Amino acid sequence: MFLRMIKGILTRQWKKMLMIAFTIALGASLASAMLSVMLDVGDKVNQELKTYGANITVVPKENSVLNELYEVEGSGGTGAYLKEDELGKIKTIFWAFNIVDFTPFLDTSATLDDGSEVQIVGSWFDHHMELPTGESLDAGIVSLRSWWELKEGSWLDEQRDGDSADCAMIGVKLAEKLGVSAGSTLHVKGAAAEKDLKIVGIYDAGGSEDEQIYIPLNTAQALADLDGCVDKIEVSALTTPENELSERAAKDPSSLTVAQMETWTCTAYASSICYQIQEVITDSVASPVRQVADSEGAILEKTQLLMILITVLSLIGAALGICNLVTASVMERSQEIGLMKAIGAQNVSVTLMLLTEIFITSLVGGTVGFFAGFGFAQIIGRTVFCSAVSLKPMVVPIVAVLVVAVTMIGSIPAVRMLTRLRPTEVLHGR
Amino acid sequence: MSLLELKNVSKIYGELHALDDVSLKVEKGEWVSIMGPSGSGKSTMMNIIGCMDKPSLGEVLLDGVDISKENKKNLTTIRRDKIGLIFQQFHLVPYLTAVENVMLAQYYHSMPDEKEALEALERVGLADRAKHLPSQLSGGEQQRVCVARALINYPEIILADEPTGNLDEANEEIVVDLFHKLHSEGTTLIVVTHDPEVAEVAQRTLVLRSGKLHKEKINENFTGKIHFND
Repeated sequence: MFLRMIKGILTRQWKKMLMIAFTIALGASLASAMLSVMLDVGDKVNQELKTYGANITVVPKENSVLNELYEVEGSGGTGAYLKEDELGKIKTIFWAFNIVDFTPFLDTSATLDDGSEVQIVGSWFDHHMELPTGESLDAGIVSLRSWWELKEGSWLDEQRDGDSADCAMIGVKLAEKLGVSAGSTLHVKGAAAEKDLKIVGIYDAGGSEDEQIYIPLNTAQALADLDGCVDKIEVSALTTPENELSERAAKDPSSLTVAQMETWTCTAYASSICYQIQEVITDSVASPVRQVADSEGAILEKTQLLMILITVLSLIGAALGICNLVTASVMERSQEIGLMKAIGAQNVSVTLMLLTEIFITSLVGGTVGFFAGFGFAQIIGRTVFCSAVSLKPMVVPIVAVLVVAVTMIGSIPAVRMLTRLRPTEVLHGR
Repeated sequence: MSLLELKNVSKIYGELHALDDVSLKVEKGEWVSIMGPSGSGKSTMMNIIGCMDKPSLGEVLLDGVDISKENKKNLTTIRRDKIGLIFQQFHLVPYLTAVENVMLAQYYHSMPDEKEALEALERVGLADRAKHLPSQLSGGEQQRVCVARALINYPEIILADEPTGNLDEANEEIVVDLFHKLHSEGTTLIVVTHDPEVAEVAQRTLVLRSGKLHKEKINENFTGKIHFND
């Protein structure tokens, strides 16, 4: 009989229930859209922020000590270098998939024909390498310094010109100072060799790089007689915002308990990734670029907070809507409920019937809302991040629990009204 | 022992005495009508007898139990087990068929039995309308479903509140005939009505006025059949 009653109300009074289902669907769709985006936004925002450069730098251990002492960057003249042939190992760490890009640098200087000294930086541009894992990787400053503006010529193409090509890209200020343009040749004299560098492009970096010359890493190594050496690696990695645990671990991993160590290692904190990079690059110190990492974390947290707020507000809105509709429904059905009580129904039976109706309606509304919300998430993903938002399995139970909770909370006033309803008040209408 | 006994029952709302020191007895198998103008206390008395309200003063003994002292939950149980209710406005559940409406009373009483519910509808002459929704039934048919629902659990008393108030003469006659049938089977009937013709078919008529029992009339020529004056 209970099922007949439920079936009766749902099939014969479906219009009333449809309105409730619609409200639930609306709340559920907003909740699932926001949750899907929120859970995916970390990766999306991270991807966006990666276009603003590296967030981890790796330097030789000795240089790191000097850098910390004197707050300078670069080799610091200690004569300590990292090994170029170990670079591929960066993509073999536990968080290999989070390493989006990395590029080595070798700072050197050379003398021009007029006797002036220029800073020359050896690096990768679009270097192709085969990894120990069997995968291949294209990395370099073309992608790592994507904000550099090409003023003249083209990017240096290592795959076209070769890893040791005598080609160079020159900063816009230096080019202006020297009066050179794309296609010109510059004669430079390094510590160990002399080269005629063909300028293939002039860039505008908007910083100190505008007074430098960038050449392929192997060419720089030949100039300085530092074969196989690099003095800095910049790494761009997808990271999780830092917290107290990661900061403590970054200072001293040995201070962590086994459980904390496991959590830290299994979370893509910048400090955790740094720790793993240090383990594969001999005598290195990897450290997060604090400003970038912190900004990323702050932006991510604010974006997620905004999503949570929208989710909470949408759920409150849905709860209020459900509250109004269910209360109106109980008021409308007060004679029917009064009759049930008059012929022997206890409050529990009538409440159970009402909640079952609402639960089934919320199930239908919630399911429709979930899929609609996932659709909204795709629209948000495509519009804001230009990519699809993936469906995180955890969204399903979260939305289910939220829908049931919101529906039940929204039904509380109606249930209170129902239990207080006296048959005598509604059955003797003349 | 009387099936129902009211001892000095009063229902007071502030200054208003909806029922004022009313005492009466209804014997098992008796058919009693309660008449009176609006505001005379008929519905209040009906609510108290029907375990839907409690008196402010006095005692109400139903089958020996003082229902004026029972809590809400127990009153619901007593009402479910001992009383069948018939309303002026029928009060059928709109999304349940006729037979399901009858089964609803069984469901809250014990166990729904469709066969028995169909038999109850057959007794009121509605076997062929069992699968119809209330909206597909006439007023008279709806009231007969209401009667079937009231009698399905074999109550001690059937309480009818203006059972013919919304019916035409033909249907009024059918319903009164049904009451006659139930009475002849031993059911106790208490019928609240405005209609003197309906009141007069009962064995005894009580007239309420301003909450007091104003008059009591015994029908010497009780037949249980209604006779309309032309």
